[in-house]
Amino acid sequence: MMNPMIAQCKAELLRIIRNPYYVFWSLLMPIMFYFIFTRVVNTGTDDTKQWQAHYLMSMAAFSVMGSAIMTLGVRLVQEQTQGWNTFIRITPLPSSVYFFGKMFGQSIMHLFSVLCIFAAGYLINGVSLTAAQWLLSGLWLLAGSLPFLALGTIIGSMKRVDTASGVSNVLYMGLAVAGGMWMPLEIMPKLMQKIGHWLPSYNYGDGAWAIVAGDSPSWKAVLLLLGYLAVFMLLSVYIRRKQEAV
Amino acid sequence: MEHVIEMNNVSRSFQEKQAVKQVSFTISRGSITAVLGPNGAGKTTTLAMLLGLLEPSEGSVKVFGLKPADVRVKQRTGAMLQEVSVMDRLKVRELLALIRSYYPQPMEMEVLLQATGLGEADLNRYAEKLSGGQKRSLSFALALAGNPDLLFFDEPTVGLDTTARRLFWERVRGLADQGKTILFSTHYLQEAEDIADRILLFNRGVLAADGSPDEIKARLVKKSLSFLASGDPALLRNQLLELPAVEGCYEKDGRLHVSTGNTDEALRAIFVNGLAVQDVRIDQGKLDEAFEQLTLNQEEAAV
Repeated sequence: MMNPMIAQCKAELLRIIRNPYYVFWSLLMPIMFYFIFTRVVNTGTDDTKQWQAHYLMSMAAFSVMGSAIMTLGVRLVQEQTQGWNTFIRITPLPSSVYFFGKMFGQSIMHLFSVLCIFAAGYLINGVSLTAAQWLLSGLWLLAGSLPFLALGTIIGSMKRVDTASGVSNVLYMGLAVAGGMWMPLEIMPKLMQKIGHWLPSYNYGDGAWAIVAGDSPSWKAVLLLLGYLAVFMLLSVYIRRKQEAV
Repeated sequence: MEHVIEMNNVSRSFQEKQAVKQVSFTISRGSITAVLGPNGAGKTTTLAMLLGLLEPSEGSVKVFGLKPADVRVKQRTGAMLQEVSVMDRLKVRELLALIRSYYPQPMEMEVLLQATGLGEADLNRYAEKLSGGQKRSLSFALALAGNPDLLFFDEPTVGLDTTARRLFWERVRGLADQGKTILFSTHYLQEAEDIADRILLFNRGVLAADGSPDEIKARLVKKSLSFLASGDPALLRNQLLELPAVEGCYEKDGRLHVSTGNTDEALRAIFVNGLAVQDVRIDQGKLDEAFEQLTLNQEEAAV
């Protein structure tokens, strides 16, 4: 007798391994960007080594945020529209286990992305951090992806795949740019900076930036991310309840 | 007898439209019941409520004495839905193992593999790559994964060829022989008549008739008499129309047909009065006709 939780996680993992398309796309753009903005374009920073480590974190965060919002969201909508969800609902599997399986699969995928991007940083620029910094920034990136996974489940409650992929794309790019993942917030207009500081994407990146700069993540970043997580989760549960009541 | 399903005055509306109106019925253990009706009659909505996918707008639905969405109900229920969908990137074998793991007392894997009717090579293929018919067989096996006491099939044979259809019903009969309760929806009359021991006839959201195939026939189908005239047909016709039991008289294919509400009465009158008839036949209407007649009547009534 296999535990449904273990079986569900195993199935989700298998599905991700067998569908490398999503993983590939979540890695291609961040690694290209990383190469361009640390090797090709001269960004004119004083401390090159520090910038290379900083931007590596930006791109790792960018990649993980993307797959949390888009991959999860679009896949959930696919399963919904193809009727698989309806079938799951008539089985005794609790929806919490179903969601946990999804989160587990996503987290493994995130772990893989983080490892690949860190390796790219090492190979492209010889980024060198202490073992503790590598480990802590990696853990931060994994844990900090939770609010974005919750956001992904909101996207996942949409009715059509087209809508979901459109909305999640805009959201993803908007959050990345306004949150200072593509270029530091400091070079943006004052108003943009003010808004940016309150976005989940900025605070997600900020924790990792702090770690590679030798600090620890600020309380503000931790609390804001937890706050976003709570809001997105409540919203997601509320939307699903409403849909089921129809 | 123990009631597996109890529907009490159930209605269900979607916005303005009432899909199911005031439906009540009970299903006892071990029976095969057909929910029969034309498209849009409320069959799928009724099934969705029994599966806990939809809440009734009014009335109560009980399965095994509990709410259909209760996990204890789901553990004893299996279903094959109209829309067949499978999780992508999982092999048939893996999918079956996954769904089995959801149930406390699943069906043995060997039985399920056999229920798919798939060969060794297909069992190791990704489920989404199977053909339409193979996917249906797989979804039949998935419905059995929890070794359920109660099975729902929503239009299970749509898109199956004759052989596959026969095979499917053979399996369903086998399940019924094991004491499982089965409820299926169909718009094929022949299927309902052949397979079910009870028919719930739905039309426009209303439970229009409920009974064994024979009872439904008896209630809905007008029997008619036909014979050859041994004397003068015109005279015989006039004589027939004078009998109180005879409602109408017409000629078809060289035979004289008599429509009547009571064939026994009509026959007695014919012989008592010594009418010149020979080669008497009692024609039993088919359920097909009854079905058409009923749905037509209701449409006329609605106009």
